[in-house]
Amino acid sequence: MTAWLVRRLAAAIAIVLAVVTITFFLIHLAPGSPCGESERQLSPEVCRRLRAQFGYDRPLAVQYVKYLWALSHGDLGESFALHRPVADALADAIPNTLTLAGAALLIDFVLGLALGVYQAVRARRFGDVVLGNVGLLFNSMPTFWLGLILLLVFSYWRRWFPLGGMSDPVLCPTLSTLRCVADRAWHLTLPALTLGLVGAAGTARYQRAAMLEVMAQDYVRTARAKGLRERRVVLVHALRNALLPFITLFGLAFPFLLTGAVLVETVFAWSGMGRLSVTAIFQRDYPVVTASALVASGMVVLGNLLADVLYAVADPRIRVRSEVT
Amino acid sequence: MRAPSWSVRRLVGASVLLLALVGCERRPGCTGDYCGAFLIVATAQPDVLLPPVTDLQYARDVTDQIFLKLADIGLSENTIGDEDFQPLLAERWEWDDPLTLVFHLDPRAHWQDGQPVTAADVAFTFDIYTDSTVNSPFRSNLRTISAVTTRDSLTPVFRFHARYPEMFYDAVYHMRILPAHLLRPVPRTQWRSAAFGRAPVGDGPYRFVSWKAGESLELAADSAFFLGRPHIRRLIWRFTPNLDVAVKQVIAGDADAVEVLGQPGNVKLARAAPQLTLYPYPGALYGFLGFNLSTGGDTTKPHPLFGDRRLRRALAMAVDREGLRKSVWEDLAHVPPGPLARLWWIWDPETRELPYDTAQARRMLTWLGWRDSNGDGIRDKDGQPLGFRILVPTSSALRLRYARLLQEQFRLVGADVQLDEVEFSVFNERVQSGRFDAALISRNPDPTPSSSVTQVWTHAGIGGSNYVRWVNPAFDRLVEQAGAATKRDEAKRLWRRAFEVMNDDAPAIFLFSTDNMAAVHRRVQGVVIRPDSYWALLRTWRIPADQLTDRDRAER
Repeated sequence: MTAWLVRRLAAAIAIVLAVVTITFFLIHLAPGSPCGESERQLSPEVCRRLRAQFGYDRPLAVQYVKYLWALSHGDLGESFALHRPVADALADAIPNTLTLAGAALLIDFVLGLALGVYQAVRARRFGDVVLGNVGLLFNSMPTFWLGLILLLVFSYWRRWFPLGGMSDPVLCPTLSTLRCVADRAWHLTLPALTLGLVGAAGTARYQRAAMLEVMAQDYVRTARAKGLRERRVVLVHALRNALLPFITLFGLAFPFLLTGAVLVETVFAWSGMGRLSVTAIFQRDYPVVTASALVASGMVVLGNLLADVLYAVADPRIRVRSEVT
Repeated sequence: MRAPSWSVRRLVGASVLLLALVGCERRPGCTGDYCGAFLIVATAQPDVLLPPVTDLQYARDVTDQIFLKLADIGLSENTIGDEDFQPLLAERWEWDDPLTLVFHLDPRAHWQDGQPVTAADVAFTFDIYTDSTVNSPFRSNLRTISAVTTRDSLTPVFRFHARYPEMFYDAVYHMRILPAHLLRPVPRTQWRSAAFGRAPVGDGPYRFVSWKAGESLELAADSAFFLGRPHIRRLIWRFTPNLDVAVKQVIAGDADAVEVLGQPGNVKLARAAPQLTLYPYPGALYGFLGFNLSTGGDTTKPHPLFGDRRLRRALAMAVDREGLRKSVWEDLAHVPPGPLARLWWIWDPETRELPYDTAQARRMLTWLGWRDSNGDGIRDKDGQPLGFRILVPTSSALRLRYARLLQEQFRLVGADVQLDEVEFSVFNERVQSGRFDAALISRNPDPTPSSSVTQVWTHAGIGGSNYVRWVNPAFDRLVEQAGAATKRDEAKRLWRRAFEVMNDDAPAIFLFSTDNMAAVHRRVQGVVIRPDSYWALLRTWRIPADQLTDRDRAER
């Protein structure tokens, strides 16, 4: 197990390094420059000096080596547009994205699980067909579009939720911590629902298939034959064994949540990694773009690694196979 | 019936406790004339709160509340002489001789850490703004000032290289005075990322409180501000990147103000909101279709099409600018008679322009040899079709609309126009390097036309912001004379002549100059918006005691 873990970790580091390298060269080779951001009309002279100050006038290979050297010392560089160390900007953004992704993951899995089980139990009946089609509809929706619709309906028309933002900037500083947390949760609801609903639609389909497969197994028939109540058969005997695909889904959910967050954060003015990355890409803020790719790829690789480990822990057959190989 | 289990009872109990805590009423807060929390929604956050290293409007909106200038421009936006300027840090000033300007600082002025504002702070500020290492975007605006010295602790002295009408404007408008005692230790190479820039200490009506990156920024009124305590106690900016969502936040009551409503649809929505008052004011933005007169940015090689002045004139006459303006902006813009922003006092509707005359445009094209020889609707000459590409940034929905409408109008006179829709960063790089045929460019200049027109339209701007590479010595001379004119009437006449020379040459088709519309919650009284700096006079705004809401009264 340890050797396997070490091998996976080494592979993970190699993947992250590859992503960083590709991102570094792509963003530097893309047309445009850090001086080209829309609000600015910096004079070419000021621009030239700034480029020299940041070393952007040097050969790309030299910049890359310098970047890797700094990175190996834990230095992510300084943001051209934000006037601050990239590490500080990321430190502000990452918790916000994790909060959003965590809440969305919760909605995704809880709702997806419940719907999947319900659909499997009522397979090919009216409820299953309706939920299947509604799920397909949600799964096909672009997240930013769904976000805009939710904003329009529940915030602008119904006024049930705030129109974007992460908290009420007027009241939150005047409230107790608990009330401020509640306010933040209120602001979190729609963006988390946007990401969570789209994810849950996919999760439900996986879960339905897994449940249907398990429900046809002999041990489920045996449980029924023993006279157990159907609820116990489904929730204890069948569901527990149908949960393994969930671990795979957990690994797959990370890239989806991170890419989805890019647009959802912009629509809902949620100040996370997604918004930071999008702004940095438009501003050609090279260090922030590369660092965002580093963090995002790191999170995805770690998520998958965690899924693999959990899988090995949950399913002894996999653990044994990996130890043999 | 079974009694609830212990764990269920604990869960219910905890929930009730949580609800009770969350539902607790706050104690009553601020009352009287100096309360009020004012929430502004902005579509971007500042980059840094250190004036010399940022030229971002969003940063200036905030720093203008924290740092004072020596004096500021008046509502007339007159930049000539010093009559229309309002004292701020300097209570008065006088000219020792035509090249020496002496300010007298208000002895009551102090930094928010209690230290007095001194002439040494002014000299230090000039030193920073003109330092090549700090590389301030405003450095070139101060090149006419040779030195700033101190006569005593309250008397900074400005020396100029030469005499010109906007000396006073240059001396006071670009620099916000900085606290030398706090900033002197910061190495010049590290000014861009100085910690001070994220938690500044100023001398203005508001002091910095907090900045949640990407989320919000809060300032609090300085009750000891020497020019009078601001009525609004808390100033908060919320950052919402999407303008349409930002406008809806104001309409829904989630925010109190937005400085620019943008597209006409947003204005209609805001007009229908009963709690809002709309404030129109002249905008700084103007836009044009610029013809590239060079090939690939090389001014020695004329553009194969636009090197010909007669062709440019024909194309300019083919465009119904008024129709385009109505279609895209409705009432929120005017067709400018040249490269003019609405806020400039030199705006003169009498300026001679090329008429909208498609018949004459067609005749001229035919006379130039551009004929539709194969009947495909596109003119050609020597086997070459009359075609060019318009470069337009995807970041601007309004300019994209203009591009499509222009494409159609040019098609009607037999020109085949294709659009290059590119990301803004790419757009900027291509216009700067001259890799375009025609481009839809917008400018957002300072209150003074002199520096902007010189940089964008004269020989001095070649290699800089004169992206169309148009040079006309007669125009350059007139601009120089207009900039040197000491009387406004004379200056205005010279500017008009300059723009008439330009219009005859048609290096660009001037399409729009915007009028802005701000929306502010109606409980806020005394609202005056200065066109060049929307929130500059905010310290004089107030919320009457009987209009205060719970949000206004909430205590931190």
